[in-house]
Amino acid sequence: MNLIGKRKIWYTISLVAIVPGLISLVLFGLKLGIDFTGGSIMEVQGSASATDITAMASKLGFQDITITNEANGRSLVRYRDPAPTSEIEGHHQEFKADLAPLGLSEVSFETVGPSVSHSITRNAILAIAVASFAIVCYIAFAFRNAPPPVSPLSFGVTAIIALLHDAFFVIGVFSILGHFAGVEVDSLFVTAVLTVIGFSVHDTIVVFDRIRENLRRQRGEFEDVVNNSILETLARSINTSLTVLLTLLALFLFGGESIHYFVLALLVGIASGTYSSIFNASPLLVTWHNYKLKHPKKKA
Amino acid sequence: MSTRTKLILIAILGLVSLVLAYPKEDTLLHKIGFKHSHLQVREGLDLQGGAHLVYQADLSKIASGDRASAMSSLVNVITNRVNSLGTSETTVQQAGSSQVIVEIPGVSDATQAQALIGKTAQLSFVEVDATTNQVTDTGITGSDVKSATADFDPTSGQPIVSLQLKSGDATKRFGDLTTQINQNQNLRLATYLDQDLIFGPATVSSPITNGQAQLSGNFDVKTAKQIAQLINAGALPVPISLVEQQTVGPTLGAESVRHSLVAGIIGLGVVALFMLIYYRLAGVVAVTALIIYTALTLTIYKLSAFTPYTIVLTLAGIAGFILSIGMAVDANILIFERMKEELRDGKSFVSAVEAGFDRAWSSIRDSNISTLITCFILYTFSSSIPIIRGFAVTLGLGVVISLFTAVVVSRTLLRGVIMTKLGRNPKWYGLNLPGEDA
Repeated sequence: MNLIGKRKIWYTISLVAIVPGLISLVLFGLKLGIDFTGGSIMEVQGSASATDITAMASKLGFQDITITNEANGRSLVRYRDPAPTSEIEGHHQEFKADLAPLGLSEVSFETVGPSVSHSITRNAILAIAVASFAIVCYIAFAFRNAPPPVSPLSFGVTAIIALLHDAFFVIGVFSILGHFAGVEVDSLFVTAVLTVIGFSVHDTIVVFDRIRENLRRQRGEFEDVVNNSILETLARSINTSLTVLLTLLALFLFGGESIHYFVLALLVGIASGTYSSIFNASPLLVTWHNYKLKHPKKKA
Repeated sequence: MSTRTKLILIAILGLVSLVLAYPKEDTLLHKIGFKHSHLQVREGLDLQGGAHLVYQADLSKIASGDRASAMSSLVNVITNRVNSLGTSETTVQQAGSSQVIVEIPGVSDATQAQALIGKTAQLSFVEVDATTNQVTDTGITGSDVKSATADFDPTSGQPIVSLQLKSGDATKRFGDLTTQINQNQNLRLATYLDQDLIFGPATVSSPITNGQAQLSGNFDVKTAKQIAQLINAGALPVPISLVEQQTVGPTLGAESVRHSLVAGIIGLGVVALFMLIYYRLAGVVAVTALIIYTALTLTIYKLSAFTPYTIVLTLAGIAGFILSIGMAVDANILIFERMKEELRDGKSFVSAVEAGFDRAWSSIRDSNISTLITCFILYTFSSSIPIIRGFAVTLGLGVVISLFTAVVVSRTLLRGVIMTKLGRNPKWYGLNLPGEDA
């Protein structure tokens, strides 16, 4: 089986998968949850008409009120209370009391102030940036003794391209879900993206490790060595992903409402991570290598 | 150490951790004569129900050099107030330079606690001139009070708050004040808690020189108790406001635990089934290692309660744990695939097992280190986001324990298995090799 020879097909598949999400990201962005925007979410048990709930909420001066029904006979009431922070809790208690006659009882409540949401957003971006940087450094370090013709840097950079592929795929999918299905991203989503990044690199390293080993033992074209390495690790890549995906699928189906989208993000990302480590990261090493052969460095 | 000794040690480790991980391990241990208190995995607020509150302190009026001490006394006062509710396992901790996180298990207490925490609770005694209505601050405050108790007035039966002032200067100043008010017909004594008038203005029938005062307002027993609690805990050194809260009802928490448990068991079952079908005898090894892994992890969760680093299991933490099961299997898969390759190359079972481990080790090490880096960064950036922190801790711990079970447990078990004749039959590994095994 020649996987490397068909690398242009694999790159095309990746582009087809990622581009719609990226377009959605540019056009619609992500639907940010209260962790990032500030506001409150009250989960209530019981059924009441959305207009009644909205009327109660408006009476207290709440803004941006949205009500979504969950599968288990509960509803999520989202709102933003423009009152000063000292009064928000009082309004919350009043709202709770107002909803009781409608037959609604509070199951959970969450409120995030604007100052907190700013620090969460900052930490989320910082965490992703620092994690990516730390991983490139680690790969360059772990592969510092890689035999020629590949440089430690090319291992690091291609791993990061595969990582970005997975991160953007997940973010793109959630941008589309956000626009068309109202799915919000919260701090758990950031956790999911970071985990996907970690897993993507984890998977890529296993293949790279085999390439490094084979470069020492096998003679022949670089392309063939890479191709053999992918094939030799294929059973492992698929089996590992399968076990992780199976556990995640169990969590997705039976794990309860509150981590539903968190698990979905992991599912999508880890599937993408498996694809990218087989079909993107290692073929990119070959593309990089061939490019350097065709364009030798000119001496200054 | 011989393989036999290692096998025995692993059997002991597996057995002990299985017993300790068992949910009702105390009754189990009791039967064989061990008495000890029940061990429990500490559950986060999202699982047991409760409130997570984040308060922002307003430090703008505090000199920058005094801010650290203002924050630590703030944490103390809030701790005192929350503890006065008698709720167990409440945690109060400082986050960042100006925030305080309060976590209270049990929702009914949470509403009460919120009412108690937010108040500045500065007690002040003032002198009121009845003719001019002029109010003069007396300088006597809550910090002059030694203790406060909710009580009943012996004659009227009305709820009151009894105060005992600190002996020495505070008692003397209060004595002077009451003497002065007693002697001047126009003066009245009043007491405020923040902006609320809780006593007076009233005349003083006789000077109080023993430092014992009674506040009799028109309050009920509950209010009297709350006032006493607030005075005892002391006033907040700086004003605070609630900037974030998360309340989870106990039913939702129990539901989450049930769902996660089901998901975990199904996930573990499906993975075990897959490993058994695909890797046969090696699959048995992997599943045994996986069971030891799960039991060991739960045991560590339980035992961590005895250390300062108690692991608090949250919903995201469970997800991290279940994800780590998948990753724990990965190390086994890497090893088995390598071993099969070596067998196909015609190596003997003994050298195939050893080579399988040696060759797979660099992949296992490098890939797990990258996951640990992610966990470490998640942990570092999530001091105020407990859900993320819980996830990072369980995933990271899972990676470390799975390295141990893959490298020590799986390897030793495999070495033990190939000592038997059955264990050296390639068919038992899903391999069809030409010719029989040597």
